[in-house]
Amino acid sequence: MIDGASVVGVGRPAIRRGTLSRSLRGGLKGGEYTWAVAFVVPYIAVFVAFVAYPVVYGLWMGSEISLYRELFADPIYQSTVVNTVLYLALGVNVKMFLALLLSGFFMRPGWWMKVLLLIFVLPWAVPQISTFISIHWMLNGEWGFLNNALYTLFHVEGPSWLNDRWMALGAVIVSHIWKWTPFWTLILLAGRMAIPLEIRDSARVDGATGVRGFVHITFPLLANLYLICTLLSTIFLLGDFNAVTFVSGGGPANSTHVLATLGIRDAFELAHPRLGVAAVMTALPLVIPLVIVLMRKLRTAEVQL
Amino acid sequence: MAHLSRRSVLRGSVALGAARLLAAPHIAKAAATTATVWFAQGFVQDEDVALRKAVADYEKASGNKIELSIIPFAPHRQKVVSAITSGVVPDMTMSNPNEILQLFAWQDKWLEVSDVVETQQAQFSETALLAAQAYNSVTKKRGFYGVPLRAAVVPCHIWGSLVEKAGLRTEDIPKTWDAYFDFFKKVQDNLRKQGERKVYGLGFQVTANGVDPANLFNAFLIAYGGQDIVTKDGKLHLDDPKVRQAAIKAAGYLGGAYRDGYVPPSAINWNDADDNNAFHAKLMVMDVDGTLSTEVAVKDKHPEWYYKDIVTQGIGYPSDNAGKPVPSIVGVTQGLIPKGAKNVTVAKEFLKYFIQPKVIGEFIELGLGRWLPVMPSLAKSAFWQNPKDPHLRGYIQQGLLGPTRPDYYVFNPAMAEVYSEHVWSMAMIDVAKEGVKPEAAIEKAFKRIEEIFAKYKIA
Repeated sequence: MIDGASVVGVGRPAIRRGTLSRSLRGGLKGGEYTWAVAFVVPYIAVFVAFVAYPVVYGLWMGSEISLYRELFADPIYQSTVVNTVLYLALGVNVKMFLALLLSGFFMRPGWWMKVLLLIFVLPWAVPQISTFISIHWMLNGEWGFLNNALYTLFHVEGPSWLNDRWMALGAVIVSHIWKWTPFWTLILLAGRMAIPLEIRDSARVDGATGVRGFVHITFPLLANLYLICTLLSTIFLLGDFNAVTFVSGGGPANSTHVLATLGIRDAFELAHPRLGVAAVMTALPLVIPLVIVLMRKLRTAEVQL
Repeated sequence: MAHLSRRSVLRGSVALGAARLLAAPHIAKAAATTATVWFAQGFVQDEDVALRKAVADYEKASGNKIELSIIPFAPHRQKVVSAITSGVVPDMTMSNPNEILQLFAWQDKWLEVSDVVETQQAQFSETALLAAQAYNSVTKKRGFYGVPLRAAVVPCHIWGSLVEKAGLRTEDIPKTWDAYFDFFKKVQDNLRKQGERKVYGLGFQVTANGVDPANLFNAFLIAYGGQDIVTKDGKLHLDDPKVRQAAIKAAGYLGGAYRDGYVPPSAINWNDADDNNAFHAKLMVMDVDGTLSTEVAVKDKHPEWYYKDIVTQGIGYPSDNAGKPVPSIVGVTQGLIPKGAKNVTVAKEFLKYFIQPKVIGEFIELGLGRWLPVMPSLAKSAFWQNPKDPHLRGYIQQGLLGPTRPDYYVFNPAMAEVYSEHVWSMAMIDVAKEGVKPEAAIEKAFKRIEEIFAKYKIA
């Protein structure tokens, strides 16, 4: 005699296998499943070819310990790390703070504000390489626009702006801020515009206007967005090559390199690609925590502004 | 509309596969007669036109196909380094920079091409033949890994009009080394007295960018007697007092000229094109810069500059301070075949065709003479001996017919690393900007050079 429990018990593994198989197939049957695989394969292939492979290849190229010994012994690398930290700290924070203030300014009503905004975004809209080259020429000590203007207007001989490490690095940072502030201003402006009018109106009724309104209402609501933008900007800036290359050229005497430009120099000027990869790899201890924090913030940002 | 079933898709795929198999022999046949060739873009468009013509002529004559890529200068260099590193290589490339031949021959990355060089061996200059060789640290042998194509030398470019404006004459420029360069300091002093606010006597590239500063320093090093810093056996001779003294004098003169205000302040951060631009802007009276690009670049737009105002002296370098001739270092562009190239046969055939005197001579002349031939017989052509041209005869005299020598990296690739690390530049800059004594600057430079050479031991 077979009892009910036994029947259930005998049938269970078969049901489990079927459930597992269906679950793995996403509930798709027969031809549907084949088509689904056919559609997914190109995406996986693209991901493997253009994301996974380059990352793994890069890690492999920079995997020798001797490369890092060579790198750390190089005085240019040491000054490059200092430059990178300064570039990130000043470039990102000054830019984001300015963007935060300016986004408030551009919230003002009026058609002229729209015109002003259009002019304001121009530095971001124009191609960056040509603008950075223009800045390089503008700052030329002998025939650059800036020194000629100083001489014509005030009979003052301007300095050779790009001949000193700190002035050249300052020029790079200012150029970056000038170029990218409009973009982040637009992002934060969009964030401000997404704050419901009711919240602002009720805060106003309660007397939270001006600075108090910003401190107690606007900024807390924008805080997550501001942090995400800051993290993203830091990651973008770590890989930035153009500002240094075209404004200071990494000079004078290789004193204004950042990790991205040093990596290119080592890879192609020294014809030592592994060393170049190793130089860029040393940014990973900073990039990985940034990405982790960014991912977490993006999750929380789903329920906040 | 036909119904698309899984089977029909599979059938279609099988049919496509079969078609590909049938087509494969034709593709394979095409590949056997096709070679991929990479060249760096010319400084003037005529160079690229000349190259395309030479390639088209070869294709017509041979029936083979050349897949030619003309790539801008800097990306070409990056592409070559990337190709050699990854192993996905063209069938032939030109050297860019030239020392890439010795750097990668050291790692056994190029194919030996003595069979190609042999076809014109009697034609090549001795300097070109030396420059085509390199030491392979795997086989422990020196061999021909490059095929000489064209060359460049570092002439002095002078604004004759500025010299005259200073109340002096180009005919009066002294013929010995220090006096020659001191003359331009006097030109600057005179021009300043006339109220010229921004004219400098000397366009020395005391910078840590590009290839110019190493060329400049080497010219001074040789002129001061330090030519044996690296000998043909690849050995370094920093302990030779003559070499040390010459290096100290070179750093002292070049850095000192900057420190004393005879070189444009921005020179400390110039790249290879900046000195050309500054010269064209008449920021300095003279420039020591490789090739005739300074003159060729203005030939069309400012013919009066080319034919009248810019002087290249036509005598090569001045003599050394004792009156002996100073040999010019010649950089030779090479044709290279990477190991792993798929179609070596066509690449070699193309190179053999390309280095025939008639073909390579025409290629160089169509490029307006920015580059020099590497075969003395070509110097006799009407183009190079044109009496109406104020630059070409002097240029070919300096770079082909006069005393020349190959660069030091030919004997030991360590010197290429010395250049790309800008060791000489740092010595010049230490003197120019940091107030360091030349002796101390050279002591530091020598220490680094020794460290670099320790990585390149030649048996």
